[in-house]
Amino acid sequence: MAHFAKLGSNGKVIQVLTLNNSDMLNADGVEDESVGQQYLETHNNWPAQMWIQTSYNTSGNTHKDGGTPFRGNYAGIGYTWDEDDQIFWPKKPYASWVKHNESASWKSPIGDAPALTAEQISQNEDNTHIWSYVWNEANQSWDLTDSKA
Amino acid sequence: MYILHPGMQKKVLTEQALYYGDVAMPKDWDIDRDKLSGDILQSVIQNKDFPFSRTWDMLNTYMRDHVGLEYGVNLVNKETWGNIYKPGENTIPLLNIDPVDLRNSPDFTLLYGVKVKDCMVRIHFEDNRRKGRSWDIPLKDNMFIMFPSTNMYYLTNNQKDSLNFVQTITYEYI
Repeated sequence: MAHFAKLGSNGKVIQVLTLNNSDMLNADGVEDESVGQQYLETHNNWPAQMWIQTSYNTSGNTHKDGGTPFRGNYAGIGYTWDEDDQIFWPKKPYASWVKHNESASWKSPIGDAPALTAEQISQNEDNTHIWSYVWNEANQSWDLTDSKA
Repeated sequence: MYILHPGMQKKVLTEQALYYGDVAMPKDWDIDRDKLSGDILQSVIQNKDFPFSRTWDMLNTYMRDHVGLEYGVNLVNKETWGNIYKPGENTIPLLNIDPVDLRNSPDFTLLYGVKVKDCMVRIHFEDNRRKGRSWDIPLKDNMFIMFPSTNMYYLTNNQKDSLNFVQTITYEYI
């Protein structure tokens, strides 16, 4: 089963459809994205070049079964197609965050949240606290919070 | 819910949203408005249901997809038909719900300008005790206006030379 994202004129993903692999075979019997695009144009009334194949098993530029990741992330409605980098981007979570192509994800301007200490992890496991870092856009910092407090 | 002041809060119970704009299809994939106007003419003259076509489906799919994407409103088709308005014609007030059968009435009415010139749409609404208010918007070629079907509206063809072709699609949302 193949998946194709339908793009709006602004590059946003409007819809994601599945396609039988047999509907995207070329004359040599090999799966070909352009054949799938043409099939979708014919049957869905939307131009071929605005159907972009996406991988159900790819997230954060990693293939969940250890295969080769394909186009960064599995496309979802509202994602944006970046043709230059060949990545489907989810919505930007905060205004200050920037694209990180290697992981096909958004990163804060100061990087990832700090790791929890062993004690905090232990308390989370004991369910006495729920420690996590939450991005504070106003202060541009990671704030340690206990959602059980 | 918006906190205005400690202890003072606001909740919006309902809203009357209108959506309008141009149907921005991909390059070289414009809606074939000649085809639509021909179908409207055929259905009006023969007094038949509006025929399904790829062109109509493109319009309908565009509206459903984009309203769903931009506003999170998932639309389901109810009915569709086309109208031809004579030069100088002023329609009677139109209402697409059946007040005694609201269960089977649509939520939204969509008007699409197939071939229009100097066409005005007046949508009536109520603002609590302020009854009888209205909002005017010109309908142009390739433009859509979508509003709650509970709002009465009428169209005016303000010029004296040509017919106005307007496609109507009604939807319910889920």
